[in-house]
Amino acid sequence: MNDTPNIADDRVSRRRYLRERAARHEAEQLLEGKSRELFLANQQLSDYSAHLEEAVAKRTVELEQALAQAEAAGKAKSRFIATMSHEIRTPLGGILGMIDLLSMDETDPAKQELLKYAATAGMGLSRIVNDVLDFSKMEAGVFIFEEGHVDIRALIESVRTLSSASEISANREIKVDIDDSVPQILLGDATRLRQVISNLINNAVRFSTEGAILIRATSAPHEKGALLRVEVEDFGIGISEGGIKNLFKDFSQIANPLTAAAKGTGLGLAICKRILEGCGGKVGVESQLGKGSTFWFELPVEIGAEPESNTVPSMAQEGLANILETKRVLIAEDNIVNQKLLLSYAKSMNMVPQLAKNGRIALEMFDPGSFDLVLMDVAMPEMDGLEATRRIRMKWGDVSMPPILALTAHVMEAVEEEAALVGITTILSKPIPFEELKAALQHALADAGSNVIADIAVPEAVSPSANRADVLSKMTPATLTELLSIVSEEMLLILCKNTSPTHPSECNRSSVRLQIMT
Amino acid sequence: MKGTIFVELLNMAEDAFGEDVVDMVLDKVNLENDGAFTSVGNYPCSDLVRIVTAFSEHSGISAEALQRKFGHWMMDHFSENYGEFFVGKENSFSLLEAIDGEIHVDVKKLYPDAELPVFETERLADKQLKLTYSSPRPLVEFCHGMVEACLDRYDEQAQIERDPATGRSNATEFDIRLKT
Repeated sequence: MNDTPNIADDRVSRRRYLRERAARHEAEQLLEGKSRELFLANQQLSDYSAHLEEAVAKRTVELEQALAQAEAAGKAKSRFIATMSHEIRTPLGGILGMIDLLSMDETDPAKQELLKYAATAGMGLSRIVNDVLDFSKMEAGVFIFEEGHVDIRALIESVRTLSSASEISANREIKVDIDDSVPQILLGDATRLRQVISNLINNAVRFSTEGAILIRATSAPHEKGALLRVEVEDFGIGISEGGIKNLFKDFSQIANPLTAAAKGTGLGLAICKRILEGCGGKVGVESQLGKGSTFWFELPVEIGAEPESNTVPSMAQEGLANILETKRVLIAEDNIVNQKLLLSYAKSMNMVPQLAKNGRIALEMFDPGSFDLVLMDVAMPEMDGLEATRRIRMKWGDVSMPPILALTAHVMEAVEEEAALVGITTILSKPIPFEELKAALQHALADAGSNVIADIAVPEAVSPSANRADVLSKMTPATLTELLSIVSEEMLLILCKNTSPTHPSECNRSSVRLQIMT
Repeated sequence: MKGTIFVELLNMAEDAFGEDVVDMVLDKVNLENDGAFTSVGNYPCSDLVRIVTAFSEHSGISAEALQRKFGHWMMDHFSENYGEFFVGKENSFSLLEAIDGEIHVDVKKLYPDAELPVFETERLADKQLKLTYSSPRPLVEFCHGMVEACLDRYDEQAQIERDPATGRSNATEFDIRLKT
């Protein structure tokens, strides 16, 4: 065994040695080259990532700014809508009221006719304004649905009555057929339902010249309670297939050869669609060109308590009836018509009212020992109602305070937050019907000491005639005479009619006219 | 320390003393890797010192002299293999001034983990440069040799004085005055 290798075997040739050296050198060069490439690639990568971070940071800042801007714009828009709804509707109500007053005294038939045209045009304008305001509210996301007990029969009947009363549909027959399957009371937003139905009826009237207009309501079982289906059928011009496609889109209108006047904004059906979809329902139409159209909507609704239960709140109210008697109420209100109205209301409730013409005077007059209730108008000269309330609370500190209720012609949601800041939880919307005011005052007194918001029971859609004897008889003869010297009896009745307090978008004749009072 | 230093040290030794001597000295030093260095590797500086010492012992030339000679060798090696570093450098001062700001920056790209000495420069006059070399490694003579080689490369003569930098450890100041 030979462990030592032969020396000759152990040696490599010089050429081979040099070759190996050269190969190693080349390998080292290669490695250096690769290292350099790696370095450059890394550098590029970190450049990119630095760039990316920069870009992301920049974009984030931009997005944050855009978001802040959008939020600010949204807020400004809501405020603008609230202001506009007040600012536009108030003078419009004034104009319509004045037209009303003029036509009461006018004996010349020619001028009467002119006034009638003015009134029709004014109401058309009011409908457009309301549509646009509703639409803006939907766009701004401040369109709010409220749920309450709805007697759909009474509601449809009242819409029908109002529609029949309008000039354009004076000679038209509007038939109502409500199936027995429809629940007596259902839960929903009465104001919005009324808006949709009255919109559909108005369309039916506008797009047909003759034939009856049929309103049908049926109900089918639904997991929520019932699926209400309402149809409004006319035998008018109908709509082509192409027209149906765009019918529910914003600002879309089909050509109406029947009337050049009162075309509207093209928002009516778009608003209906949004309202129904907002409540989980849907709307549609079946139509044949030249034969007529049937607009329908379906809405899942909860079924309300049986009609008998209606007597419960009224009994409860009877229990509260005496609570207002001889109570001292401070009324802060700057508008003369409203002053008279509220004073006469208070008197017919056997309350002892005192009047403050603005917030500053109310602040001076107020004393927790002298009043059991305060009714505070929000918008008043010198000092508004919210400011007056704030100062009253500051002035009297921890002393036990009588309930303070706010009255406003503004969109309620706009005032709510500020009112809550000064401790007002009940906000009443002007114009306020008698019964509603009474209920609110009763609840406020009953709840005095606690901050519970008065749950005002508002019986929906009572037919206008129901209140007549009631209301006027509760006014003192002197007040009644005085009020009648300012407005017509019809208008007074409308004022007292039990309408919902939160219906800035109400399209009917009565609410538009009520604006004269705000 | 970068492998290229070791590789070139052995190349210089081969050139000066022959392959057999290098083999013998490496055997004697008994390095962990038996002297198989590659230019792209990294090795402890202590190995370099041991190799230099061993050659010094073998040849009778002082370690300092060997280091300085090696400085010359390395400068030649650099100018042969890394010509790009010399482009645009008109004289020795501009090259010395470019070590930290340009050459080492590039070296770091290839070898991010390289531990490089620092060369601070200051022009005290037109023909006078203060070069402060700082490194934890005991290679001042090597540096001195490189400075000399740099001057040679540009056919410049200078008087070089060096002193430990005051108040700093591991730093040496070279005062370089060009002769006209």
